[in-house]
Amino acid sequence: MTTRKLRIPSDVDRLADVRAFVRDVVAEFGGSAEIAGDLVQAVDEATCNVMLHGYGGAPGEIEIEAARRDNRIEIRLLDRSRPFDPTAAPVKDVSSPPVSRRPGGMGVGIHLLRTMTDEVRHHVRPDGGNELTLVRSIGKTAKED
Amino acid sequence: MAMTLGVEHLGGSPPVTVVALDGELDASNFERVIEVVRDAYAHGARGLVLDLASLSFMASSGLFALHSALRIMAGETPPDPEMGWGALHQMSHDHDAPVANVRLAGAQDAIARVLERTGMTSLFGIDASRADAVAALQGA
Repeated sequence: MTTRKLRIPSDVDRLADVRAFVRDVVAEFGGSAEIAGDLVQAVDEATCNVMLHGYGGAPGEIEIEAARRDNRIEIRLLDRSRPFDPTAAPVKDVSSPPVSRRPGGMGVGIHLLRTMTDEVRHHVRPDGGNELTLVRSIGKTAKED
Repeated sequence: MAMTLGVEHLGGSPPVTVVALDGELDASNFERVIEVVRDAYAHGARGLVLDLASLSFMASSGLFALHSALRIMAGETPPDPEMGWGALHQMSHDHDAPVANVRLAGAQDAIARVLERTGMTSLFGIDASRADAVAALQGA
């Protein structure tokens, strides 16, 4: 199993580095351009959440680990910010077509994070902080909503 | 990758401003879009084209900027960008129909996908090109 890591300070100016890292690892792991685009979006939203919600502008570090396991790409975000579980946010109403749902509002980024991955797992780290894992299968398109 | 903004005031009737976004629109730069739209409206623009042809990425903060542009061009006060993420989450939803004077032009597939997945396409006029968008605003 190949693992790649990136460690950055909590600074929105570093989000471009995060996106470049994700693009590179997805290509290295054999993911398509569509999968790369989806994971770039999801990881950007998750990282931005940590920076703005978790650390709230205070100094901090975020470690991003990417690995390919069988036919899945797993990207793990590790931080030391206050506990924040994006998987616990209310699920968007998907009973109507996306075009008729209202944009913005609570959790647009979290909505994107969820719809562009196959699985999202969150754990509070025993020694403080969050571990968020985003999983995307290779070889099929993201679940449609 | 940084984002550059190109602003062109076309005049005409109604006066139209085209803002071309080049690069990646994210939490580090979305406020610049709001600023240029605010300036355009203050200087008399009553039609706005956001040219997305060279935009390769848009985060949810970019969606917030687009929604703020709608509010500004409707003569309203957008949520305070100083509120940052909180403002995005508290964004009100008072535009259920497309706002006639703001159009999005030339969005690449990845950007169009984000707009569709978040329902934003229902709020804007959508055009294949900047020229189409200007024509739609000025009835040419």
